[in-house]
Amino acid sequence: MDVGRVSNVAKLDMPKTITRQRKKESLLQNNNNSFFLKSSGSSTSASDGGVVFMDLSGRFGARSGDGVPFREATALESLHLGGGGEEFRQMVPPENAGGFTALLELPPTQAVELLHSSSSSASQATTLHSLGTLSFPSNPLLMERASRFSVIATENQQNGNVSGETTTTSSVPSNEHIKTEPAETETCDQAAVEKQSNRCGKRKELDKKVKSSTKKKSKSSEENEKLPYVHVRARRGQATDSHSLAERARREKINARMKLLQELVPGCDKIHPKRDIFWWKDQSVLWGPSSCKLSMEREEGIQGTALVLDEIINHVQSLQRQVEMLSMRLASVNPRIDFNLDTILASENGSLMDGSFSGATMQLAWPLQVMETEQSYHHRQLQQPPSQQWPFDGLNQPVWGREENQDHGNDHNNLMVGSASLHPNQVKMEL
Amino acid sequence: MASADKPINTDVPEKDVFTLHFLQSLSNLRRQNTFNSPEKTNDRVKKIKKAAYVSMARAAGGTNRLWSRALLRRAAKENSKVVRFPRRKKRVTCLRRRRSNRRDPVEEEEAERLRNLVPGGGGMETSKLMEETAHYIKCLSMQVKVMQCLVDGLAPK
Repeated sequence: MDVGRVSNVAKLDMPKTITRQRKKESLLQNNNNSFFLKSSGSSTSASDGGVVFMDLSGRFGARSGDGVPFREATALESLHLGGGGEEFRQMVPPENAGGFTALLELPPTQAVELLHSSSSSASQATTLHSLGTLSFPSNPLLMERASRFSVIATENQQNGNVSGETTTTSSVPSNEHIKTEPAETETCDQAAVEKQSNRCGKRKELDKKVKSSTKKKSKSSEENEKLPYVHVRARRGQATDSHSLAERARREKINARMKLLQELVPGCDKIHPKRDIFWWKDQSVLWGPSSCKLSMEREEGIQGTALVLDEIINHVQSLQRQVEMLSMRLASVNPRIDFNLDTILASENGSLMDGSFSGATMQLAWPLQVMETEQSYHHRQLQQPPSQQWPFDGLNQPVWGREENQDHGNDHNNLMVGSASLHPNQVKMEL
Repeated sequence: MASADKPINTDVPEKDVFTLHFLQSLSNLRRQNTFNSPEKTNDRVKKIKKAAYVSMARAAGGTNRLWSRALLRRAAKENSKVVRFPRRKKRVTCLRRRRSNRRDPVEEEEAERLRNLVPGGGGMETSKLMEETAHYIKCLSMQVKVMQCLVDGLAPK
């Protein structure tokens, strides 16, 4: 009988609900899932089959009668007391442990109520939204609505399914609900978005399939004005649920940094003149993977990003290789040069910090002139004539001239590498 | 969601700071007696390279930047030194957990390559990675300039 009823449901074009219904029953194993069987007493007409589901939710709403506190009782009760209503009263056992109870009594239901307190149909929808674990196949329209009420959507993907399912399977009057609800949702968008963003923040949302249907509806641009979070303006044709908003905000962040990097890395400027690299990728997310190939520009957007990133990676690699090569050169030069720069540098901090880099190079260079010879180390006799005067002499003289002249005699054993030619006047500086 | 983006700060100290640090590290290297033997050029090269990176990390802001922190930590590990860093506000583990939600398959590969290049990139979110890359590029180019001038100064031929 239960199967029969479920098959009746099938006539209402809800094939998947059968399986879902069974899952649902499994959920209520510990509870009185016998109500499904008991409900067989009622007529098996299609309309009743439709009513079944309505009553399912209705009974949930009417649980106050069962001693379980629930808010939206009355609205549903008035709607669906059909022939099988009596049996359905048993459908919601008070001790719904893991199934409905936890979900039904969540605070978001309040919020949803607030959003849709205007009409009974809306409240019905919200009730159904909040009702929880009934899982129904996703109807794009209703999925979209569910995505708007992301508060509920976070609870369960099935919440949206519930609403979708019930509205589709209910009798004719509820068909009107479908039409009215979109209108309501449009008007309630602002509040909905607010509430969503206020509550959701970064909550995990429906997957991207929702966005594809959401996009169809959300032609209007929305704005989060009153939130403490990121102020993101949703563009035309983009989803407005907080998940995609978060995605978009993140992408814009990345985009800004990419611009920074582009300026740093030479040769990146011409690759992607588009201001917003990730806007196209955003679109692709909305349209779904199938429509990824829609526009060349969009592809170019992604490829432009890839090119820029390639450039950046190449640049970093080249810089690292340069460091390595210079360190090799330094290593070849280094052993012949002895630094005693601690004191010198300490004293020279002030002068080093000032001035342009060219000045700094000069000043850098001449500390190298100033060397301390370590006798134990430099036994080599590199008695090369000062093959090359440093060009810095002129600069250095005025400052260090005094000391240099004093220590000429000490520098006989100074090193002179073949490649490196140092100033012959190695000064032993002791400060 | 974070608040609206504050201006991204990728300021890098002047070249003089880099010079200072690098020369200091070089002079420290010089002090090691085994450093300047004519053989073992490769060791010397490696040491100088490491000294270059470490001094760059120190010059560029010490432990205020993720990449420099990672660099210093890595270097200290090789020397088996105990490194103490001031306590960070964010734990890297948190970022790792969130990372899984924030990947975009298209830019993922590139980000992965960047992570391998930039020290400490493994624990960063993509946007943070970009910031660090920008700063890293600036510091790297500065260090390259310093070293180039040094080499030129020493080998004017």
